[in-house]
Amino acid sequence: MSTSMSLYHIKDLKYRYGERFEMHIPELSIPAGAAVGLIGPNGGGKTTLLRILAFIERPHEGTIFFDGKRVRGEDTYLTRSVSMLLQEPYLLKRSVFENVAYGLRARGEKRDLGEKVNDALAMVGLEYEDFARRSWYELSGGEAQRIALAARLILKPRVLILDEPTASVDEKSALLIKEAVVESRKRDGTTLIIASHDHFWLNSITSDIRRVYRGRVLGSAARNVIAGPWGSIDDGLCRTTLPDGQCIIASCPAMPGMHGMVDPADIVLSLHKPGTMSAQNMLHAAIVSLEMNGDTGIMNVSLDVGGFRILARVTRHTAREMNLLPGEKVWAVFKASSIQWE
Amino acid sequence: MGYITEGFIQAFDLLASFDDETYSAIFTTIRVSSMSMVASLVIGIPVGFGLGYYSFPARRHLRVLVDSLLALPTVVVGLIVYTFISNRGPLGGFQLLYTQPGIAIAQTILVLPIVISLTATAVESLDRRLRPTLYALGARGVQMAVASIMEARYAVLIAAITAYGRAISEVGVSMIIGGNIKWHTRTITTAIALETGKGEFGMAIALGIVLILLAFIVNGSLTVLRKRS
Repeated sequence: MSTSMSLYHIKDLKYRYGERFEMHIPELSIPAGAAVGLIGPNGGGKTTLLRILAFIERPHEGTIFFDGKRVRGEDTYLTRSVSMLLQEPYLLKRSVFENVAYGLRARGEKRDLGEKVNDALAMVGLEYEDFARRSWYELSGGEAQRIALAARLILKPRVLILDEPTASVDEKSALLIKEAVVESRKRDGTTLIIASHDHFWLNSITSDIRRVYRGRVLGSAARNVIAGPWGSIDDGLCRTTLPDGQCIIASCPAMPGMHGMVDPADIVLSLHKPGTMSAQNMLHAAIVSLEMNGDTGIMNVSLDVGGFRILARVTRHTAREMNLLPGEKVWAVFKASSIQWE
Repeated sequence: MGYITEGFIQAFDLLASFDDETYSAIFTTIRVSSMSMVASLVIGIPVGFGLGYYSFPARRHLRVLVDSLLALPTVVVGLIVYTFISNRGPLGGFQLLYTQPGIAIAQTILVLPIVISLTATAVESLDRRLRPTLYALGARGVQMAVASIMEARYAVLIAAITAYGRAISEVGVSMIIGGNIKWHTRTITTAIALETGKGEFGMAIALGIVLILLAFIVNGSLTVLRKRS
């Protein structure tokens, strides 16, 4: 995506934590109004990337364009366009009303505060009358998270960044948080950037999921990463062995140290072991869960292959025809050539 | 034992009858320590905040210096201030020796390290999520600083009360700078020292009771605030 069309455009960004960790993003674009999900293991760099996108951290190298303007130093207008909800939200030692109204007060916007706080609390499913006068310590974890979210929503930011918003909340709060951010995007055109370990929660909000792994942003889809180790076999092919002994075969990468990627749409599911066919990879798997991928008519099928998770995608029609249910055994089939290297 | 019992009876009598001399010492103590508190808070809170909030080259050294001054003996503060404000001293022209403002200045110097050190500790102990949260909500510059000190308000109040406790109970400064002048600079502590020396236990015990009551109020406030913070 070109710079002019992107809300964010990052070029050759580097961020270092001493000698131990380096984030390197050669190029990354996020369009205005998009809903982008970030997934990946702990310590992979998701939070660092979010803090950089929220302008809380500055990269050591590289450039960030926001809304076509290069971000240099502290630009209050630009940085106030973005609001981030931390993984463990912090509430100020004040009443709920004062917490939610703080951002507007900081901007000097003091008109109709009561009404705006009321609307923001309603968005996250909290009654103004019940909560506005409560102190910060009179709240459950889920309520505190939702109030922290209301404090961001009231600002109507152009970009709302959420770091693991459902990590420590109950199911009801997770649903209310989802509804609030979806409503914010629909009503105000807010760009959403969300990191979460809850793939299915994330899938229900975002259609563009990117994997952050060892300080790299890998691909622009929720592709399966097969990190290896890969060993060379015959005919320019490489092989890696999964924890249960099953093998995955791919054409060898151009350089050592690259990660294999399989698009979930390239994985075919079969209820029976297929006979001889051109695809070299046939993995016996168990269905862990099924979830609608937004309103696309596509279903995400999470598979367990001897402890290794693989995501496949099928249409809702196919899932119904095959009677796919959690716990069912299936065969996941894909060609060696469908593995891409990054 | 009889003189102790008599002392207590006389003490309650002095307090109940609002004895002028007794209450003069009480009000002088409250007036002087309040003046020193206002001054030490006005100076100490911003300095302590700066020391705890900002990073600058000599910060650690300054912190060590302030923490060392916590153990400053009251008589040494009294001696130093005396040399400055006595007629032969550089500030002798202000005529502060044997006055209540003179005692307040010396007490300010005595309790300032407490206010600075405890405020700095309070600010340093703020939750690490506070700054990114304030930033995410759009606070900048002075707004960040004000919101941070507001978050530390209970701990800063604890600093103020601790300092007040030190000011009302010290004797060295009040004795050296105030001179223990009846109706003028005689405080609770200097009066107790004098009356005990004279063998007049009634007033000494009465003032001791008031001082202990003040200490209870101070410590009770501290306990409540520690719970809230």
